[in-house]
Amino acid sequence: MNAHLAEAAKAASIPRDGTPRISVRGIRKSFGSIQALRGVDLDLWAGECLGIVGDNAAGKSTFTKILAGTYIPDEGSIELDGKGVRYSGPAEARNNGVEMVYQDLSLCDTIDVAGNLYLGRELRRGPFLDKAAMQDGARAMLKRLEVRIPNVAAKVAQLSGGQRQSIAIARSASFGPRVLILDEPTSALAVAEVEAVLALIMRLKAEGVAVILITHRLQDLFRVCDRIAVMYEGTKVAERAMDKTNLEEIVRLIVGEGHHT
Amino acid sequence: MTLYTERQQGSRLQDFLEANAHVLSIALFLVACCAFFTVLNDVFLSPGNLLNLLRQAAPTLIVAVAMTFVITTGGIDLSVGSIIALVNAVAAILLRDGWDWPIVSVLMIVLGALIGTFQGYFIAYQRIPAFIVTLAGLSAIRGVALVLTGGFSILIPPSLFLTLGRGTLLGIPLPALLGLVVAVVGYVVLTSTVYGRRVCAVGANTEAARRVGMPAKRILLSVYVWSGGAAALAALVIAARLGSGSSNAAVGMELDVIAAVVLGGTSLAGGRGTMLGTVLGALTISVIGNGLILAHIDAFYTQIVTGSIILIAIWLNMRIFDRGGGKR
Repeated sequence: MNAHLAEAAKAASIPRDGTPRISVRGIRKSFGSIQALRGVDLDLWAGECLGIVGDNAAGKSTFTKILAGTYIPDEGSIELDGKGVRYSGPAEARNNGVEMVYQDLSLCDTIDVAGNLYLGRELRRGPFLDKAAMQDGARAMLKRLEVRIPNVAAKVAQLSGGQRQSIAIARSASFGPRVLILDEPTSALAVAEVEAVLALIMRLKAEGVAVILITHRLQDLFRVCDRIAVMYEGTKVAERAMDKTNLEEIVRLIVGEGHHT
Repeated sequence: MTLYTERQQGSRLQDFLEANAHVLSIALFLVACCAFFTVLNDVFLSPGNLLNLLRQAAPTLIVAVAMTFVITTGGIDLSVGSIIALVNAVAAILLRDGWDWPIVSVLMIVLGALIGTFQGYFIAYQRIPAFIVTLAGLSAIRGVALVLTGGFSILIPPSLFLTLGRGTLLGIPLPALLGLVVAVVGYVVLTSTVYGRRVCAVGANTEAARRVGMPAKRILLSVYVWSGGAAALAALVIAARLGSGSSNAAVGMELDVIAAVVLGGTSLAGGRGTMLGTVLGALTISVIGNGLILAHIDAFYTQIVTGSIILIAIWLNMRIFDRGGGKR
């Protein structure tokens, strides 16, 4: 079975020229007795959007959290622009330009909108917060993403789910990332906000950012992704170029029927 | 054509009231307490009594300022009363043995901060709940004080040191001025510095703080350093006021301090702290203690009344002011 999976994965890989923006090999991660990831390889080039799909518990979030430095892999290597990196935590990944929007958003409810957007990279004058500059910056960030939040001094706890999600996205997209990972970024968003996120992804791609998108909204994948990777039980089982596949095939790959034929 | 209009922004005044509901309510409660005790005994409002009240409130206030940081991270420090007792006793021993008071003062604050560092290490890096670590500290640290003093009170020989607790500047007791300085510094640090922002972030969502690259563990440890240091400062003030050091100093003071912070509106769940509320809370606790004595209520009843008032005040605060306000 394992050999079969590996073979399928190899066959599904699509070769491409140049050094990948991010390249991972043989990532393994166990939590106690549970093997969350059983050796995942992936390449992603600048200006490309890769969709990751798979059933619940297929290992999508674990895999992306390893890319973002939140989890440390048991085995495997990560290269950024051809340079090997080992993170000891998310701060290092962030310094290397890898940003992630987490499914649980990682916002601080009791801090205001501007403070959350600048969380961890506060503008300062000496030891003091430069609140006015952060509020101006926050307004500019939100305007660029077409997010409507009238008061950037409002506490995040007072906002709707969609607004909170928009803030998490704005935070990770606004500081010049090289790799942007979006874990279910549109689940709580309304129609116009989803459109804004998809437009943002296209814009970031054009700027040369490598984007990884995890979503259950398969129709979104066809609009912004160049490639799609399918995960199943902790492995990558298939990779397809978006223009050479269709919805039916992807659904079949996700539920695991495609590999047995 | 359909008109798309933007939702109007709510009034600034309403936002302000909602954001500061807790502070406003404790301010009202403090005024009400003062009025009540004035009616019972008009000595309460005399300048002499008020200055005395401020002098006695100062140690509680100093520790409460640091405790506000601790509770804002979602932690608690139960050991502050015991740290006060230990520092109080050690300071008296050293002064009795002829050490210079400035050296003793600095050493004692370092001692308090070291105890805080020790406890903070177990809380932040070994992930033992703060409640457990500082409960152990509460017991063990006073034990050390008892061993050192043998349970006896130690007289401090007269020196300039005693003015720290007894002196006045422009008619205002020095301890009160010291408390004010500590509170102002605490206010500025909590609301306006990067460090204060990090303390709030760690308290609101530790994992989020870690993910954005904040040194979450170091921040968590640091707040216990402040509470230990502040307890030591309070201990010096108490020793100087009483002119003696004792292992029985400040029994139960951790409860007064925590009550002051929570009365002021700092959330025990972490993430939201208010220094102004803490100052008002500390004053309220002192006013209640002082007022009950002036009202000639039996000292045995004071604890019962204090406990009841704290429960009622916090209950009212939550029922009246949280309705329709923030979500936490």
